[in-house]
Amino acid sequence: MIDVVFLLLVFFMLAARFGLDNAIPLSPAMAGGGTYEGAPRLITVGRDAVRLNGSVVAPEDLTDKLVALMPSTDAIVVLRAEEDATLQELVDVMDRLSAAGIQRVVVAE
Amino acid sequence: MEFGTAQQKPRAESVVPMINVVFLLLIFFLMTATIAPSEPFEVAPPESRAEDPAEASQPLFVSAEGDLVWGELKDDAAVAAISSARQNGDNLPPLTIRADRKVSGQAIARLLKRLAGAGVTQSQLIAVSVE
Repeated sequence: MIDVVFLLLVFFMLAARFGLDNAIPLSPAMAGGGTYEGAPRLITVGRDAVRLNGSVVAPEDLTDKLVALMPSTDAIVVLRAEEDATLQELVDVMDRLSAAGIQRVVVAE
Repeated sequence: MEFGTAQQKPRAESVVPMINVVFLLLIFFLMTATIAPSEPFEVAPPESRAEDPAEASQPLFVSAEGDLVWGELKDDAAVAAISSARQNGDNLPPLTIRADRKVSGQAIARLLKRLAGAGVTQSQLIAVSVE
């Protein structure tokens, strides 16, 4: 019986997935209430460059320039991926935005 | 020659405390284990600094090529099943999207739009911590 119990123990130790995954909340363009306020804030993520309203910005300057366009930190920011941008690049930009306290990011097609 | 009394044989380790501990561990693992659903394909979630814990819900897998799998269902059938599951329940946790980091960002944007059309207003993207 001890053998069986040990076997079960080892099985559960190996099968258990510890810790919950991290999650990034996502909202599609049309979901959620609230109206868009203030200047246009469109971030386009390409393979090699991030553009804010069409002009290329350095990733470090993105949040500073963006905050200047925002009436408040809970205003909506639109994020768009170009054809060749991967999800990782999109998530990197989202990370920068959330580090700057920008909560409401909408992913548009 | 006398060497005094023979040394006492050391007593065999008793097994009962060990069994107790093993049972305790077994019960611990039984309680904490969430049997992970097997992934239909290899998915490497994107790295992120986000630290919100994910709420448990059946994940929608997205491969690097943009294929969708939810449970046993694929692509259109998966979205249709998610849609009907959402209509039948209130207060559901956000839909978990387990996408590969190499999938194109546009595919995710299109997926979100499709899901919104299917009645999914809240979703969460699974990420792994940056090492």
